[in-house]
Amino acid sequence: MTVPAIEADALGKRFGRRAAWALRDCSFRLPAGRVCAVVGPNGAGKSTLLALAAGLLAPTEGTVTVLGTDPATARPRVGFVDQGKPLYPQLGVAETLRMGADLNPGRWDADTADRVVAGGDLDPRARIRSLSGGQRTRVALALALGKRPELLLLDEPMADLDPLARHELMGVLMGQAAEHGTTIVMSSHVVAELEDSCDHLLLIGGGRVRLAGEIDDLLAAHTRVSAPAETDLAPHAVVEARTTGRRLSALLRPSGPLPGDWRTGTPSLEELVLSYLRNPGALAPAPAPDTTETAA
Amino acid sequence: MNTTLTTVPATTTPAGPAHAPRQLRWLLRLHRPALLAGAALVLLTGAGLLWLGGPLADASAAAWKRYNACAFDERCSYDQDAVIRYKDVYNYTTYAVLAVPFLIAAWAGGSLTGREMESGTARLAWTQGVSPARWLASRLAFPTLAALAATGLLTLLHRLAWTGSEDRIDTALVWDHYPTFYANGTVPVALALAGLAIGVLAGLVLRRAVAALAVATAALGALWAAVHTALPHLWPAVTRVTGLREGPRGEGIWAGQGVLTADGDRLDAPCLTSMLPGCETTLSDMGAVSFYRDIHPAAHYWPLQLVASGIILAVAALLVLAAFRLLRHRTP
Repeated sequence: MTVPAIEADALGKRFGRRAAWALRDCSFRLPAGRVCAVVGPNGAGKSTLLALAAGLLAPTEGTVTVLGTDPATARPRVGFVDQGKPLYPQLGVAETLRMGADLNPGRWDADTADRVVAGGDLDPRARIRSLSGGQRTRVALALALGKRPELLLLDEPMADLDPLARHELMGVLMGQAAEHGTTIVMSSHVVAELEDSCDHLLLIGGGRVRLAGEIDDLLAAHTRVSAPAETDLAPHAVVEARTTGRRLSALLRPSGPLPGDWRTGTPSLEELVLSYLRNPGALAPAPAPDTTETAA
Repeated sequence: MNTTLTTVPATTTPAGPAHAPRQLRWLLRLHRPALLAGAALVLLTGAGLLWLGGPLADASAAAWKRYNACAFDERCSYDQDAVIRYKDVYNYTTYAVLAVPFLIAAWAGGSLTGREMESGTARLAWTQGVSPARWLASRLAFPTLAALAATGLLTLLHRLAWTGSEDRIDTALVWDHYPTFYANGTVPVALALAGLAIGVLAGLVLRRAVAALAVATAALGALWAAVHTALPHLWPAVTRVTGLREGPRGEGIWAGQGVLTADGDRLDAPCLTSMLPGCETTLSDMGAVSFYRDIHPAAHYWPLQLVASGIILAVAALLVLAAFRLLRHRTP
C-alpha cells in the first residue's frame, strides 16, 4: 500500500477561541497520484483545509498527515498557490523565478518554471506589480511547479484566468501529474471548471466534508430518477427530492434494484454537488471513505 | 500510476548554514530601497556630526573666544553666525540620532513583517523551502546587525562631536541635557534593537502594514518614556545636604529633593529657601533642619546609560521570544 498524499483525521480549525469553526471534524484520505477537486461554496473551509495541508496553519484539533509525515516536514515537497497569488511586487518575473531557484536548492526545475511563464508571453523583466491578475497566477504557478512538488495544493488557481490560459495551464498541470505522478489538489467553487480534469472529489460545506471519493465511484453510486408524484422512495437514501406537477424528481443512492417504471439517469458531477449543497441534511454515503481506500 | 512516483526527486532538506546567505541575498533585494535610504540617512547624519565636531565647533569656539575677549566693548565684533550654526546643526543631528530607532521600528513593523503578513508573501516564503522560524530569524538577524552598526556609529560620532565642544563653546549643552544625555550613550543602540523587535512582533500580531507601523512607533515611544521616567532610580543617587537659607543645591540628573528633619525624615519641601517670607516659619514648624537633593553627578553617566540599555535589551529579547512563540503557535 502506498503512502496517501493527504490523510486528515478529525481535523478542525478555528481562528480565535470564540470564533466559529472554519473547518471541523474533517476526515478523509487522498491517495497519491490523484487530481482532486476541493469543491464547496464560498467560506466553506476550502482555503483553511489547503493551508492546513500546506503547513501554513496549525490545526486546532485533529491531525493531518501529508506525504506520510507532518505538514511542516513535508513543506519542501509541497507546492502551494494561495488564493490571492501573493508575490513580491518589487521583483521582476525572471527575478521571482531566480528566487524560487535560490530558496529551493536541489529541487528547482528551471525548465518547467520557464515554460509556464513563457506560455504567457510575459516580459521577464516586467515587475510583478505591473502584471494583470492572470499573469500573476501564471508566475505563481511557475513558482509552485518549479520546486517540483510531490503534492501541489492550488487554492482557486483558475479564478483570474481567461478561458484560453485556463485551458493551457490546466494542460500543464495535467502533464505534470501524468509525467511525475504529482498529486494535485485544487479548490474551486465552479464545479464545471474541474469536472474534466479531476478524478477525485472532496466536497466541503459548512466546514465539514460532505462527500469524498473517486468521482466515477460517486457518480455510479447515485442515480437521478423521475417517478410519478407521491411515490415512496424508500428504502433508497434520498439526497434531494422535488415534486413538479405530477412528477417527482430525485437524486438518490439506490440500496437495491429500482422499479422498472422509474425513469433513471446518471447525474452529472455538478448535479451531484449541487444536490448535496442544497440539502445540508443529506448524509454522505457511509462507505465512501472505504471505497476511497480500496481504490488506493 | 503510483509507480511513477519514484521519478520524483529524492527529498532534499535545505541545508541550514548554506541556506542563510541565499535568504540574506533576497532579504537585501526585497528591502533595497529602505536599505539605501537608511544608509543615506546614516551617512548624512554622520557627515553632519563630523562637520559639527570639526569646522563648526572650531568656528564657534573662535567666535566665543572673541566675544569673551572684548567683554563689554561696544565696537566688538564676533562671528555670531558661527555660534548659531553650531547650535542649529547640533540640535538637528542630535534629534536625527534619536530618531533612528523610531525609523527602524516603523520599517520593521510596516515593511519587514507587516506587509509580508498582509499581502501573503510570508506564506509564499514559507512554501518556498523557508520554514517560518527561519524566515523570522532571517528577518531579525541582518537588520539587527544593520541597526547596531547604524546607531553605534552615530552615537559614537555624536559623543566625539560633543566632547570636542566642552569648555570652549559657552552654549554647548551639558551632559545631563536629556537629548544630549541619550544621544551620547548606548540607549539609542538598545532602542534600535527594541524597535526592530517591537516592529517585527507588531507586524506578526496585527498582520497589517500601516497598523503595525503606527503601533510599533508608538510602542517604542512608550518604552522610551517608561525608561526615561525610571531613569533617575536606575542607579543609587548621591544626596547633597544644604542649609535652609541656601536651598537645595546640586547639578546633574535629579532623583528627588525635599527637607530633612532632625530625626532624619525626608519630607516634601514647601518652599525652597528660608529667606522667602513665611518660609522660615513653615520650615521650623515642620522641624526641618536642612534641605537635601538626590542627584546623579556626571560620574553616574555610564551606570545610568548601561542599566537603562540593559532594561531595554531585556524587553527586546522578550519580544523576540514572543515573536518566535507566536509563529510557532500559528504554524505547525
